[in-house]
Order: sequence, then structure tokens, then C-alpha cells
Amino acid sequence: MRFVTSGTPPWQPLAADAAAREHTVLTLAQWRAHRERWPAHLSTGVELPNDTEIAAIAGDLKRWQLVVLRFPKWTDGRAYSQARLLRSRHGFGGELRAAGDVVPDMAPLLHRAGFTSAQLRDGESDATAHRALAFFLAGHYQADANTPQPLFRRQPA
Amino acid sequence: MYQYSDFDRQFVRSRAAQFRDQLQRNLRGEISDDDFRPLRLQNGWYVQRHAPMLRVAIPYGELSSRQLHVLARIADEFDRQDTGTPRERGGFGHFSTRQNLQFNWIPLARAADVMDLLAEVDMHGIQTSGNCIRNITTDAMAGIAPDEDVDPRPYAEILRQWSTLHPEFAFLPRKFKIAISGAREDRAATGWHDIGLRLRRDAHGEVGFRVRVGGGMGRTPSIGAVIAEFVPWQHILVYVEAIVRVYNLHGRRDNLYKSRIKILVKAEGQAFVDAVAAEYRALLAEDSLGSAHLIPQAEFDRVARHFSLPPAAGAVAEVAPGPVPPAFGRWLERNVHAHRLPGYRAVTLSLKRAGLPPGDVNAEQMRGAAELAERYSAGELRVTHDQNLLLPWVRADELPSLWRSAREGGFATPNIGLLTDMIACPGGDLCALANARSLPIAAAIQQRFDDLDELHDIGEVDLHISGCINSCGHHHSGHIGILGVDKDGSEWYQVTVAGSDGATLGGPAVPGKVIGPSFAADEVPDVIEALIDVYRRERRGGEPFVDTARRLGTLPFRAAADAARRTTAAALAD
Repeated sequence: MRFVTSGTPPWQPLAADAAAREHTVLTLAQWRAHRERWPAHLSTGVELPNDTEIAAIAGDLKRWQLVVLRFPKWTDGRAYSQARLLRSRHGFGGELRAAGDVVPDMAPLLHRAGFTSAQLRDGESDATAHRALAFFLAGHYQADANTPQPLFRRQPA
Repeated sequence: MYQYSDFDRQFVRSRAAQFRDQLQRNLRGEISDDDFRPLRLQNGWYVQRHAPMLRVAIPYGELSSRQLHVLARIADEFDRQDTGTPRERGGFGHFSTRQNLQFNWIPLARAADVMDLLAEVDMHGIQTSGNCIRNITTDAMAGIAPDEDVDPRPYAEILRQWSTLHPEFAFLPRKFKIAISGAREDRAATGWHDIGLRLRRDAHGEVGFRVRVGGGMGRTPSIGAVIAEFVPWQHILVYVEAIVRVYNLHGRRDNLYKSRIKILVKAEGQAFVDAVAAEYRALLAEDSLGSAHLIPQAEFDRVARHFSLPPAAGAVAEVAPGPVPPAFGRWLERNVHAHRLPGYRAVTLSLKRAGLPPGDVNAEQMRGAAELAERYSAGELRVTHDQNLLLPWVRADELPSLWRSAREGGFATPNIGLLTDMIACPGGDLCALANARSLPIAAAIQQRFDDLDELHDIGEVDLHISGCINSCGHHHSGHIGILGVDKDGSEWYQVTVAGSDGATLGGPAVPGKVIGPSFAADEVPDVIEALIDVYRRERRGGEPFVDTARRLGTLPFRAAADAARRTTAAALAD
């Protein structure tokens, strides 16, 4: 799990000139507007709104190296389900980033849901988020993005 | 009962350590109170009217005497403050309708120490609050009821583990409650839950679940709709996952009052059922994690072994019925229940005693109940949905001795199922959400109906009292329901009749009907008495209150209740 800021290289928002550049992050609306002309060889990221049906965008996933899921409030849990579907239903293997109202105590859930990076909201500490990841070293009951089997299939009965 | 594995134990300790870290950061000012709130809620810590409230999880209501001794120690050493009335000084717990235990007076600064102490006896407050999957409840008679088709406890435990710190479902639109029953009689109010599961066997003897979704109380009382007649037991985690995922993605988050799954089920109708079916199919066919949670036979067997008979429970000869003293006979009739094992009985320790709030136990009483469990019930107790304790493994030949001990401990009031065996939330005395107090109402009714002969003549009545529309006291499902409401800063009480929790006595689960404008607090005991008088006048044969109420409709009850108005009479005449 990496903790990044909005300016962390290499990813940049779509420039004002709307030129297709390497490592551009587009909103879903921008992607839809530029999709037909967007060069396939560029590393591309797309930010999905909280209510996007993952099945509806699944056909485009192979063209994206980064998906950003935004938390409007940190207690809004929809993005965990979106992440779960991206990873295990649709096989998305690129970077999955949490953005928006992201707090350090979300780190364990984000990690387990398949996020690989997170942009904490302003004023939050990366060190606290790293520490939050270290409480359940023996693992959890369920299968998750990093542990393909639940406890009852990992341990002999 | 279920014994923790090393993993389970380590897990609960990790959770206690995580909570201690979060609490300390809050106390140091590194997490704002607003951000700390969801974190503490998911560990059972509310901030209430006077102090924080801790809700301790008692998974599917099973409790050992060893655990109850530690709960007593917490009541004694932590649930304390130095000022106020005797009750405000704490030292007691409150058993809730969802089989949990609540403390009201523990200072937040000592919260982490309490969690460590709980972890020592395999207990915690994980997901007893917050917008997540809450403690899974079941029949207090699970595994011992003569009318049981399938013991729900192994499934409840497997669901408990699956729902504990689920990575995807910690921040649902709203709280989410699951109840399981495996008997012909529904003693778990499954129709009133977000998911109500009924275990059954198909024509080939295979075990599966009938699944109801969308039950709930609150402002919009609703009975769960059956969306699957038979989900094979191996698939239940996958099926529940499909339901909760559809809810997490599509449940409303814009309006607190419309965010429970019942609203989604009602709004979407068949589209909801289709969405769950599609998600279930996709989990099994197109998902790399989907089938991982199919339950293997070996896992079921591992868990089910914990629920075999206690070693002490050997064959016991049936006791021939004979003449008994009337007081003992009354207790046998009300508080002692048939058991699936010959020579055994289940015994309810009544927590509905004159002068004490329903479901409340102080430290000394906790120790008393724990000692009764050790002596008579293989060290095991159950918390019942109606806020009593139940001893599941009592030998019939020890009933006279248990009766004497239970009487000494104040647990033998022979009122189980009767009017004074009422459900009540803590209400405005303790709860910050409440609009009105429920405990003085409960006490006044207890006092009014303190004559045991009269109580037995009235027969079985479910009386449920909630201090606000959140419905923790299940007023909707009461044969008589009382709801506290706030008008212009004073306390008023709305009364309903003919609701049902879904047990045979009251018929299919249904919300009660309001019998008119709210009553003043001092009118309520008279109103209840007036309703009971209508029943005693009009009843046919052995018909219970709820049947008379259904047959007559609300009008005669409304007229009798109106005649009992004093304070509110003038307002009604306007």
C-alpha cells in the first residue's frame, strides 16, 4: 500500500489543452469524450464516480493502468464494493487508488479490498496509515484481494 | 458452545490493541471526535446521555458462566461513577433484544482496559453498532428445542466469522441485522430483520435456508419478503454476500431515514430480487473470489462439533409428574420449557421483577446467575430475545433445588410470556436518542399488575415499550406496543395493539395498529388496564389477548383507552 499526494509523479490530471500525454488521469466524463481518439499506447488513468456501475465500464479496463475511486465521505463504503468488483470480477490488474475523504484508519480495509495506493486527505499522516496496517498480522476470516482463500480453506480443519 | 481457536483469540486481542491505539489518538486530539465516532461505534462504544455506553457482543446469545463473571467484574470495577442517585452510580448491565449486554457508566478513558478484559474471555464489542453487519441473533432455545428442524448455531458462528471485519461491508448505508431460526416456532423475530434466515430440510433431507430480506422497525415498519425458498447451506455466505453487495452499492445514502435495506427492497421490488439473483450467479460463475466462501463440509463439521452436548449431559430418567406446591407449580408452568433430551428442561431466569428495569442485572445478580449456570446448566446460559436469561441444560430432577436457588437470587418470578414479561429499551433515562423515558412506564405497569393470580388469568401478552421510533423496545411487534414520542418538549406515549413478532401466539409478523392520539405518561397504566379489561370482558374460551384484539379490531380498545384519558381528554375534545 503506497500513500501518495495529488502531485506524486507520474500521474497528472488532463492538461488544459486536453492533449493526450503519458500518465494522464481523466475523469470518466473526459474519458468518454476522448475515448475514440485516445492513443492506446499511453499509460492512462481514469477516476470513477462513486455510483459508477463497474460492469458498465469493464470493457475499457484493459486500456487503463490506473483507476481512482473517490470517497465523498470516508464513511461512504461504496468504493470498497467497486474495488472488489474491479479486482476479482473483472480482473483489473493496474494501480487502484483511493482518493477524496480518505483517512488513515481506512488503510486496512482499502488494502484488503484491492487498493494499492491512497491519497490521504490533507493533514493526515502517512505514518499513522502505515501503523494502521499492522494490527492484524495473523490475517482475517474472509478471503480478500490479497488472500484468495478464507481462513477455513487456509487452515486444516 | 463455541470455543475460540488460537486464531479467534489473537484476532480479538488485535482488535483490542487497534481500538486502544485509536482511542489514545482521539484522547491526544489526533483524531477528531467526528472521525473517531464511526471507529468507536464499530467497537460498541456510543456516547450517551450521561456517559459512553458499551454494547458487548454475545454472539447468538450464548454465554458461559466464566464470561458472565467477567461481565460482573466490569460492572463492579468500571461501570461506576461517584455521584447521583443509586442508579446513576452504575454497576449494572442491560440485556438487549438482540442478545447483547449494555453498560452505561464506563468512562471513555477506561474503554481500552475494558476491551482487554473482555478479550481475556473471548468477548468484544465488534460491530455491535455502526453501519455494518451487527451481532447475528438466533433462537435462545437453539439446539435444545423439541420443535427444532436444524440447529442454527453452527451456521450463526460461520456467519459471525464471515461478517467480522468484512473488508467490503464495514460502511454500509445503515446498520444491518441478521437473525436465524431453525425451529417451527420463530423465537428470533426473523421477519423483523434485514435478513431473516429460516433453516429447513428439502424432500431429500438436505439443509438449506429460506431467505427473507427487508424486515425492520423504525419509522417504516416492514416485514421481510421471501426472496429465496431454499439456498443450500453450503452457499449461504455467497448468497448473503450477494444481498449485502447489492445493498452497499444501491442503498440510499442521501437520507438517514430511507437508508435501511427495507426501503431499497420496497422501492425496487422485483428488480431487487433480480439484482440479488444476478449477483449470486455472477459470484459463482464469473468471480475469482466468489466460490472461496462456499462452506466446506469439513469446516461445518469443525464448527458443529462445538455445539454437541455438554459432557455432563448423559441420559437422565424422566421425572414422573406429581403434586407440587402451587408456587412451584406456577414457576414450572411459566419458566420451565420442554427440552429435546429426555429428563432435561430449559429454565428461564426472569429479569422482569418488580422494581427493576426489564433486562437489567447488577454485578451481584450476574454472579448469582453465573453460579446457577455452573451448578445446574453445565456453565452455559442464553440471552433471550425478550431480555431474560435461559439455562439450557437443567436436569428435571434438579428443578426443585434450582427453583429454591433462583428464588433466593430473585430470578424466579413466574411471569414468562405474561404481561409483566415486557420488553423495554433503556429509554430517556440513559439513551441520548430517546424522546421519552420507558423505564418509569415499565415500572408503573409492573406495579399495576403485581397480582400473580390476575396476571395468570390475563394470560400471554407481549407488551413492548420503546422510548423512540428507533424501536429498540420493538413496540411495533407487541400485542400491546407503547412508543414514546416528544411533543413540545414533553413525553407522550402512542399505543398500538395486535402487533406480532412472528411467533405462533401472535401469528405472522405484523406491526400493531395505533389506537388514537398519544397519551400522557400518567395515563398509560390506566390505558393498559382498560385494554386488558376489554379483553377479559370480550374473550372467547381460551383465546389470548392478541386474538381478541384481531377479532374485535381497534375500535373497542380505542374507546376504552379514551375513557381512561385525563390530561389528554381536553385536547381530544377540541
